[in-house]
Amino acid sequence: MASTAASAPAVPSLNLPPSQFARLQPHAYLLAHLSPPSASTQPSVRANGRAASQFRVTSANAGSLTHTNGSAVVRIGDTAAVCGVRAELLHTADIASWSVSNASDEEADSATQKGASQNADDDRNQVQDLHLLVPNLSLSTGCAPGLTPGAPPSTLAQSLSHEILSLLHTTNLVKADDLRIWYQPPNLESEEFRNAAEGMEVDSEQNGGPEPEIKAFWVLYIDIMIISWAGNAFDAAWSSVLAALRDTKLPKAWWDADNETILCSDDIADARKLSLRGLPISSSFCSFEADAAAGWRAVVIPSPEELKSQGQKEGSQQRWILADPDGYEEGLCEERALIVVDNEDGKTVILKMDKLGGWGMDSDDLRQLVDVSAERWQEMKQILDQC
Amino acid sequence: MSNQRQASSASQVPHLSPAELSYLYTSLSLPKNPIRPDGRSPTQFRPLSAETTILPGTNGSARIGFADGTQAIVGVKAEVEKTVLAADTLDSRSLAQHGDALNREGEEGSAAVSGQGEWVQMSIEIPGYRDDDALPIFLGEMMRESLVGSVENKEEMAGGLKARLVINKRWHWRLYIDVLLLSQPLSYPLPLLSLTTHLALLSTKLPKLKSTGEEDPFFDDDWAAAEYLYPRSKPSSGPFHPVRPPVTILVVSVGENIIFDPNREEISVADAVLAISITRSHDSDALKLLSIRSIDPPSRLTQSGIPNSENVNMIGSTPAENPSQEEVSGVWRPRRGGVKRSVVARMIKTVLGKGGVGEEVLEGLEGVEVH
Amino acid sequence: MADRRRINGPPGGTRPPVYASLQESTTGAAQRAQRQRQPAELRKIFLQTGMIPTASGSSYLEFEPSASLAAARANPKSLIPPSSALKVACTVHGPKPLPRSAAFSPNLVLTTHVKYAPFAARKRRGHIRDASERDLGVHLETALRGAIIAERWPKSGLEITLTIIEAEDDRWWGDAPDSHDASWGLMNVLAGCITAASAAIADAHIDCLDLVSGGVAALVSDESNSASSIPRLMLDVDPAEHRSILSACVVAYMPARDEITEIWLKGDSSRAALEKGDDRSSHEALIDGAVDAARGANTVLSEAVRESITRSIAQA
Repeated sequence: MASTAASAPAVPSLNLPPSQFARLQPHAYLLAHLSPPSASTQPSVRANGRAASQFRVTSANAGSLTHTNGSAVVRIGDTAAVCGVRAELLHTADIASWSVSNASDEEADSATQKGASQNADDDRNQVQDLHLLVPNLSLSTGCAPGLTPGAPPSTLAQSLSHEILSLLHTTNLVKADDLRIWYQPPNLESEEFRNAAEGMEVDSEQNGGPEPEIKAFWVLYIDIMIISWAGNAFDAAWSSVLAALRDTKLPKAWWDADNETILCSDDIADARKLSLRGLPISSSFCSFEADAAAGWRAVVIPSPEELKSQGQKEGSQQRWILADPDGYEEGLCEERALIVVDNEDGKTVILKMDKLGGWGMDSDDLRQLVDVSAERWQEMKQILDQC
Repeated sequence: MSNQRQASSASQVPHLSPAELSYLYTSLSLPKNPIRPDGRSPTQFRPLSAETTILPGTNGSARIGFADGTQAIVGVKAEVEKTVLAADTLDSRSLAQHGDALNREGEEGSAAVSGQGEWVQMSIEIPGYRDDDALPIFLGEMMRESLVGSVENKEEMAGGLKARLVINKRWHWRLYIDVLLLSQPLSYPLPLLSLTTHLALLSTKLPKLKSTGEEDPFFDDDWAAAEYLYPRSKPSSGPFHPVRPPVTILVVSVGENIIFDPNREEISVADAVLAISITRSHDSDALKLLSIRSIDPPSRLTQSGIPNSENVNMIGSTPAENPSQEEVSGVWRPRRGGVKRSVVARMIKTVLGKGGVGEEVLEGLEGVEVH
Repeated sequence: MADRRRINGPPGGTRPPVYASLQESTTGAAQRAQRQRQPAELRKIFLQTGMIPTASGSSYLEFEPSASLAAARANPKSLIPPSSALKVACTVHGPKPLPRSAAFSPNLVLTTHVKYAPFAARKRRGHIRDASERDLGVHLETALRGAIIAERWPKSGLEITLTIIEAEDDRWWGDAPDSHDASWGLMNVLAGCITAASAAIADAHIDCLDLVSGGVAALVSDESNSASSIPRLMLDVDPAEHRSILSACVVAYMPARDEITEIWLKGDSSRAALEKGDDRSSHEALIDGAVDAARGANTVLSEAVRESITRSIAQA
């Protein structure tokens, strides 16, 4: 028996092809890529061949869908999002509280000269209170194996929708005035009725004619379908929303007193684009821990100094912050960060900073991430300007 | 759950063994004269009992029971509804028309107002199925499609059922057809439901309109004066062809044979299943085709038999390395593939042809006394 | 009750915009789209496989925009699009084991799911599948089940999801909804779904008898007075380009076996005028026409599948 065993030393090969190793030991696989043996000259790269702060190839294409006011397709690597913006009318007659709140609203409108910041706040209130922006994100498109189509929106889809909504509100991206449809009631008593009817607001006020009133609002239904999901759905969804809103044209609309309804002009020359406030670009990051179970083992939250000394002691990097994680990396990381920045006259402005899932990232890291996000802003601006 | 999902299109997956399926298939596909389990001829329908106007609270109703105990009840209710214009159209012309109609109240509009298919609502209730399951929805769409699609050019029914529902430019009838299957669906319930709906619509009466023109409608409260939804006035001359709602017939092909009104066992070995909706043509005796839909034959979901040569339990046989995908005669294989065009053509011809099955069915239904 | 899992619009509801241009009815926008193709000429189909790497198989299908739509895109004048062109994304997940709770199945259990994007059609669609979407799913299932060799995967499930990003019109937008209100656009959508799903199934390496493709033929009458005009048979109709469609048929067809796995015909086909010497009845001509259209789609389909195979061989 022993002799046969010795004569056949056919030790089964333990070499696995990389693709299988990646499936069996995802954490070790990524770690091996990020921390190559110090002897080798290999640089530290991610399993997908990117450097830690490198984003995937991004492309955007706007205006390809027929039945939308604005639309865009954004691909970030293998993640693809389609966004369509549909505008519908909300008559003020259909707003339950309109007649009550109308008076105070007009006061606010007359106060528009008070300053830009005041104006932005009013905008936000009206857009938010009247639900003029309605973003919904759908993941049930068969975009990933785990998500059953036809089921109600998953928790992830709901949270992404709400994140987009809150970002739309906090960035004040859409100006409320773009969505208002004004009506100047004819001044029947005045002889200068014609002048007033031309919409000369100042004139009519001087003449003591009736004040212009808001007859309706445009409501923008922003629907995002994630067609393919390979990680970082939020960046893809947000960029598609941004590109679609930049593409959105609203028809010229007016109150038709005879029919008591709003009519629109289908002439493309009359339509106007939305004028958006700034260009908020989002960047997602996640933090990869070398020790897979670090989060489980730590009983007491370690102080940052402690962590740092630990890292120095062992002489190897313990943590990598990966930009634009793909689906494989998202599954291995607990701690995430989302940074939304804009650029005002060459100065980077942070609009949103979100960090959750751990205590690894410190203020230095976040400062660096803001710099990475600022670079991403330049890159995305170019892509969005070209589409 | 998966059982229901599989049963989405055809009725339940049959619980017949591969040997039984094979036996049934062989006897049904015998050239020229198939042998059906219940001894019927290929074109013969199952006996049924029918009655109409059974529910006093409805505008029309009917009940049909098959000999195997399956029963269906259909109730038709009509409601007056305001016609909404320009709701789902981008067109403002209708808006203008709407205004015109208001201005020229009372004036007889010469432009024929054609109704909308949405005014006929159908709901189907089958025990064991939720109302958003595929089977009730598929059946409902199938029956509604032929109902609103049949456009008759005969005078009293110009424009078909849709147009019959128009009262004037601003008002119309909305028809609710509620179909209830009272028992578990033993066979594919389509023929039963379609025949019952047909009879219920025939017995449907709408109150007589007393107002004229574009006034808000008001009606004669004398039920005896009510008019039938499908008018039955005998023309003074020519042959009498009453306008009738369409009927949907279930046809299956097994081998070279074409078999009508299959029961549960027969449909489970069918190569192809078609639902064909027909109605009488307005200007001739001939029948008119309204719609064809293929139905997923349950035979595709059956379990295949194992030939003796591959059966490990048989003495003296060795399991084949590669189970052959060849057909072995007498061993059941789930049906694969589709149906040849020539077979489809023959199925349609048997229904529509002179003296064909379609005429037989319609004549049979005309024999049912409708109160 | 409002759907709490989605973000809802204003509680009072909103209305789609109404365009005023039709009241004047002299603008160029009101011009009806015209079919520029020959009766037997099909629209070009763009079909690509493997665009969604997380799925076992995937495909994306797009119909060529009609002449009027292409013109409107190149030189936009009106906000109202003259017609639209189908865009479908399809993913296939599986074969994968059935859930433990599921009953035993000797065959591959196929589930199809068709959903319109809310912005796919002229009228905004809801988020929950309506009857027509479920109906489409059943049709599609019938078409595919005939082609898949299901007994090779017992106890397994295959999930096919189609997202319709842009649908076809049911009629010319300027026509009132009642003129011919059957949903003819649905038939084009079904044909596209069949072809796209077939490509995705092949991309997922599921054994099939043959590539099944969809085709549409219709009897149309373009004269304004539809009562007197003679309807003609046309392949691959865009409903927006015709005044009225009397009858239409969609088939799922496998050319190698010359078999139809799914047929859906509706409408009155009794008044068609066929060429002299053609003794087929009109519904037969309609089915034959749809089969011809499906054959045309099949050439595109086999090309796309060939690309998919080449790619997977290159990867291996």
